[in-house]
Amino acid sequence: MRALAPTVAAISMMAAAAGLPAQAQEPLGAGITMYFQMGGNPGDGSTLPRTNGAKAAAAAFGVKLVEQYSGWQPEKMLNQFKEALAASPSCIEIMGHPGNDAFAALVADAEKRSIVVTSGNSPLTKLKDMYTANGFGYAGVDLYEGGKLTAQKMIEYGGLKKGDKALSYGLRAQAERGKSDQGLYDTLKAAGLQVDYIEISPEVDHDSSLAVPILAAYIQKHPDLKAIGTQHGNVTAFIGKALQDAGKKPGEITVGGIDLSPATIDGLKKGYISVTLDQQLYLQGFLPVMQCVLSKKYGFAGLSTNTGAGVVTPKTIGALVPLIEKGIR
Amino acid sequence: MAKPTRHATQADPTAQDWRHIVRLSKVDMTFGRVQALSQVDFEVGRNEIVGLVGDNGAGKSTLIKIVSGVLRPTAGKVWVRDRPIDLDDYSVRMAHELRIETVHQGQSLGEKQPLWRNLFVGRQITGRFGFIDVKKEREVADHLLRQAIGFRGHGISADSTVRDLSGGERQGIAIARAMYFQADLIVLDEPTTALAVSEVRKVLNFVEGVKAGGRACIYIEHNLAHVHEVADRLVLLDRGKVAVEFAKGEISLADLTNQMIALHEGHGRAPG
Amino acid sequence: MPPAESVRKWFLQVEGLPIVAVLLILVIAFMIAAPEVFLGYRIYMSFLATVPPLLVLAVALTLVIAAGEIDLSFPSVIALAGWVLGYFIHDLGLPWIGFVLALVSGALVGYVNGILIARVGIPSIIATLATQFLWGGLTTVLSQGLSYSLGDVDQFLLWRLLVGRIGPFPVQALWALAVAAALWLVLNRRRFGEHLLFIGDNARVAEVVGVNVKREKIRMFVLMGVMAAFASVLLTLENKNFFNTQGGGYLLEVMAAVFIGGTSVFGGKASVVGTVAGSFIIGMVEAGLVATGLQGFWVRAVVGIVFLAAVVGHLVIEEPERGRASLRILLGKLAPERKTPP
Repeated sequence: MRALAPTVAAISMMAAAAGLPAQAQEPLGAGITMYFQMGGNPGDGSTLPRTNGAKAAAAAFGVKLVEQYSGWQPEKMLNQFKEALAASPSCIEIMGHPGNDAFAALVADAEKRSIVVTSGNSPLTKLKDMYTANGFGYAGVDLYEGGKLTAQKMIEYGGLKKGDKALSYGLRAQAERGKSDQGLYDTLKAAGLQVDYIEISPEVDHDSSLAVPILAAYIQKHPDLKAIGTQHGNVTAFIGKALQDAGKKPGEITVGGIDLSPATIDGLKKGYISVTLDQQLYLQGFLPVMQCVLSKKYGFAGLSTNTGAGVVTPKTIGALVPLIEKGIR
Repeated sequence: MAKPTRHATQADPTAQDWRHIVRLSKVDMTFGRVQALSQVDFEVGRNEIVGLVGDNGAGKSTLIKIVSGVLRPTAGKVWVRDRPIDLDDYSVRMAHELRIETVHQGQSLGEKQPLWRNLFVGRQITGRFGFIDVKKEREVADHLLRQAIGFRGHGISADSTVRDLSGGERQGIAIARAMYFQADLIVLDEPTTALAVSEVRKVLNFVEGVKAGGRACIYIEHNLAHVHEVADRLVLLDRGKVAVEFAKGEISLADLTNQMIALHEGHGRAPG
Repeated sequence: MPPAESVRKWFLQVEGLPIVAVLLILVIAFMIAAPEVFLGYRIYMSFLATVPPLLVLAVALTLVIAAGEIDLSFPSVIALAGWVLGYFIHDLGLPWIGFVLALVSGALVGYVNGILIARVGIPSIIATLATQFLWGGLTTVLSQGLSYSLGDVDQFLLWRLLVGRIGPFPVQALWALAVAAALWLVLNRRRFGEHLLFIGDNARVAEVVGVNVKREKIRMFVLMGVMAAFASVLLTLENKNFFNTQGGGYLLEVMAAVFIGGTSVFGGKASVVGTVAGSFIIGMVEAGLVATGLQGFWVRAVVGIVFLAAVVGHLVIEEPERGRASLRILLGKLAPERKTPP
């Protein structure tokens, strides 16, 4: 007990000394707390780069980041927004899955309390337009445009022609997420292809290896199939396997997908996958944090950035591999 | 049938000079805060039918669960064939090896299981590598059915499920199992509950046959007339204690009934 | 007994035969509707690569359900054991040690489940739901949220031995059938299996006939954990990938496979053969429906119909009187103008 007082004094002095440099050069986001909806589950292919981007920005700006994971379920996202509200943070980032109407009252409440709300991954156009001046921005892909771009590149690189048979395998049943599959489907159709559509089941949505026999069966049933398109990240990874099981060689069918999970890299390298849309998910994490800091501190308006500006092909994959393995691309 | 086991030294079933097949001394059984049995002294002679009676909650089922190895007493000692039993070792399996068999009230048989499996569970006939010899078990079961209590021509086979049997037939199977494994002591817990009149008579005959065969029996009954008829000795249990004992002929059925009622109402508690 | 009656009796008594018949009818229906797919060998090779993990899980779960318990934590074992295997292959290049440790991790999960359920006394549905979150979360922490590509793992002997190809034939199918055969023997020809059946039938009865209920339950959950880990190894090696969230899509499919196969949810009665057939039905149905041109939206509904039909069918077989009475009521409701009594 006798050593206690001097020990406490020593520790206090060290703590004070450690605190000094921080005060001398305060990071831009010091004192700012941000609740961030990451989207899926921690670590899955379409969530991890976003998480890494947000964390990097938070570290760079000195922001306290609170991560929220909802398994892509809109109801959960709404609940998590309520949790965020209860904590009165500086900023909240949300996604568009629940829709403008579901969020309207909640966002209005947040805005009244001077919380900066911004968005990413899937848009909330109506709300964004309402609150742009308060810092409501968007960092993501225009889902429909993303699907469209993927389809366009499929047609371009695959030499697809009018009357060719194609399959669109997607999640059109989901209101927001389905827009990307709709974009893909519409674009292929507009180019004159005969497009068939199959809905991804919840089991396949979760464990996408279960898609392999389903796609293999379809491919075998339609021997003159020329193209398969999806906008589901994990399913993209397994299309190559399905082609193999059905006895097809790389390039026989033009395959368009999305995201860059490790398994998709394999598919690109081997040539089974022809194009994949790069959402640049890292930016979907980084930019909203930056938006938060700038709007909270200096009142800047919300910016809209389309992060899905390009596709990756077997030719361009090589340079990206090391970044992908780190969960950045 | 008796294979040499590590328990043989404890209470060798083939030893000849013993007086009590089972003896409990100062046995307590506590469940949490409930004292189900306290300081119970209880023994069964070599060729004796002991009738165990008492009100609901008196502790009869608890007592026989100790005898049959299902429960371990919280205090006290147990002897089998006059040799002390290590209570840490004692289990249902060991009781079976010591030729103590029990027919529990309503829970001796797996309802969804076929008869052959019920017969041999816990002591399966095994062949090479320890795989159960289902064929042999079926044969033995079939053989037993033809000889056991009232199964002639009922369309019941070794493969029948217990669920398809009536109360009396189930009782018959459970008892047949006990006899097949050559019990020296057979414990019957309320065997006549839910039986038809004709089936009751069969059980009583069976109990008498146990005595005639030189073996012992503990017989729990609610129906005083039954147990009064066949028991050599009656033990009355009241709220976890042995209230009083009577030898055969020492008390009339009417007096026994009155004694039971008195105990129930809280009078006439005998010492011990 | 007239010959038709004795054939019917035989049909209903041989284990699993009814559901195997359903499986064959389904396959024949697919062959008729999509001959270009189902008359060739390729699609079956694809099934034989994807059904094994489901089959191993379902057969192991059959024993758990036979004992009157349930295990909802196996999806987290698929993740955890998959991570262990992936880590040892991807980071350390030690496939065999990874394999053994993956099985050990499954045993650990099973052991914890067993202790919680048998000793602490938590109902299995709650305990395994909780451990599902625990081990799933732990896997995310261990993997730092990353998924691993196991790139050229097909060079390793372990890969060739467990999920390699003999011509086009996937080896994991042989392993899965071996597991099914072994667990059939355990359930029907080993003391341990009989003890599980009695525990599921009535735990009180099991105790008085000499079964050490607590010990056997713990052993059973450990077995389930090890089998789930083995299924995970087959899955992870086949995919050549460890996915951080792998396993979740299997929960309902595995249970459907078990119950379609005829195992009673109340315990005490189980059919490994039925589960094998049920696994193939579940594993094949979506691909089959897609090949026949049925829209994806319909698949779940059809699986539901098959499920219900199987369950009612099993009821009719088990308790013919009740089954016939139910059918009479059902038909009575569908045709209310019947003048003659049924």
